[in-house]
Amino acid sequence: MRITITVALAFAAAVIAAQGQEPQWTPPRTPDGHPDMQGAWARRGTAINEAKAPSSPLGEFNTTGQPYPTIFNSGVVTTLDRAALASRKTGVVDPPDQVLPWRPEADAARREFMTHMIPPASLKYVEKAARCILPGPVEGDDRSPFFILQRPGEFVLAYEYNHVTRVFHTDGSPHVGKKIRLFMGDSIGRWEGDTLVVDTTNYNDKTSLGRTIPFHSEDLHTVERFSMVSPNLIDYQLTIEDPKLFTRPIRVAAYFMAAQQGTEPMEFACIEGSQTLPNVFGIPFAPAR
Amino acid sequence: MKQPTGLLIAISLWAAAPLMGQPAASNLPRTADGKPDLNGVWQALNTAAWDLEDHTGALHAAPGQSVIEGGEIPYRPEALKQKQQNFAARERLDLSEAVCYQPGVPRAMYMPYPFEIIQTPKLIAMNFEFAHARRNIITAGTPHPDGFPDFWMGDSRGRWEGNTLVVDVTNLDERTWLDHAGNYHSDALHVVERYTPIDPTHIQYEATLEDPKVFTRPWKISMLLYKILEKNARILEYECVYYLQDEKYGNAKPVGVSK
Repeated sequence: MRITITVALAFAAAVIAAQGQEPQWTPPRTPDGHPDMQGAWARRGTAINEAKAPSSPLGEFNTTGQPYPTIFNSGVVTTLDRAALASRKTGVVDPPDQVLPWRPEADAARREFMTHMIPPASLKYVEKAARCILPGPVEGDDRSPFFILQRPGEFVLAYEYNHVTRVFHTDGSPHVGKKIRLFMGDSIGRWEGDTLVVDTTNYNDKTSLGRTIPFHSEDLHTVERFSMVSPNLIDYQLTIEDPKLFTRPIRVAAYFMAAQQGTEPMEFACIEGSQTLPNVFGIPFAPAR
Repeated sequence: MKQPTGLLIAISLWAAAPLMGQPAASNLPRTADGKPDLNGVWQALNTAAWDLEDHTGALHAAPGQSVIEGGEIPYRPEALKQKQQNFAARERLDLSEAVCYQPGVPRAMYMPYPFEIIQTPKLIAMNFEFAHARRNIITAGTPHPDGFPDFWMGDSRGRWEGNTLVVDVTNLDERTWLDHAGNYHSDALHVVERYTPIDPTHIQYEATLEDPKVFTRPWKISMLLYKILEKNARILEYECVYYLQDEKYGNAKPVGVSK
């Protein structure tokens, strides 16, 4: 009998997955009526897993493809979560074959760039993540939790990694002026039903999108969609547009999975302990006391 | 209790002064859970980041009056010597000014850059424009964790006492300074902060600093935090590390590697 039930459940899950439907479920609400996504989360799957990418001289160990500690895996518990998780696709979903629509000149430039990364020919070729600067829209450290805070007019994604704080303005304010360029860009959010849609512009050209996409232009534009699909799972879609890199936008699917109950933010300081550049160039960064 | 009673009374009156004329508590904006609403972009308008004590103006340093109750920091004699050495070498040794390290607590609160308070029931985040520093003030009723290392921004646990947010800060890294004048502390520093909104756009900020290795007694700073009211107020990025790296390494050649 148990076997029959298991088979039936597996069949039901398979049907749900095949139809791409989320199970019926209503998210909790904040006092202003939007889905309440607050809490501690683990980000999964934001890596731009490009097919036919040049092999990175820095290896396969990728800031968005690192092994995850099991502490974050215990957050997902309900049947709804398991069903939603089972049907997740992660990584590049458009184009479906993960062959990115590079502009030939941009592809050539990044391949040339990558040949100078080990050893770095100069500061320009040092991997951005090693400089402890703000990481741009894709990179970060998914071994550390993320925290979502919501208040009327704002939705905040606070990384533990390098104390990055992304504030999405949902009060209808416009983007800042074009001359203001930011590592994390300027983010305006709006609710489309229960989905938070975040439009980010005003990026500078000083971050990377991964080891094999070591630069982008100031024309980078991202659109992110956050939707809660089960009690412990947020679906996350990231559209990346940079007409100087790609001939058309690409889309990455990922998700946020609830971290273990009681996870509190700690401090992930970066530059204060970093010896990367001093080691590479033989010049200390901080003064000796 | 060696202080004259008169002085104590004077201090008490002075401390109470900012509370006079404050509106009825019911006039304060409130969050959905009934707490005073501290959300928004704030900034201290003083020169405490340069020197907490009275100081004359100097090149690239604005003049200002002390924000310390009683005027001066009660250093132990040997600690005062260290402070004087720090002052002499401040341009090189002040890690926040020299290399943009996170400023620590309480210094982050009066750096000459704005910060944003994002207030939720169990977590109050402070997002500082300077060096994208952040404080996570946990208001879930959980204690300081045992056996944690020291953090540049400390471990902050908050609770509400009426309209005042009281924040207990421990685990502070001894490498941060209290200002650019070399005022410093040890790893024994314990800070208790009080955030009291006196009207919708002003917070009375007080911090008591206790560090028996450096100071002879606990002492207190007090100042106002002003809400930035411009409609487009928001925290941008002062990512000075990037530019410092350009300056230090931009023309450098890698060493110790062969290809």
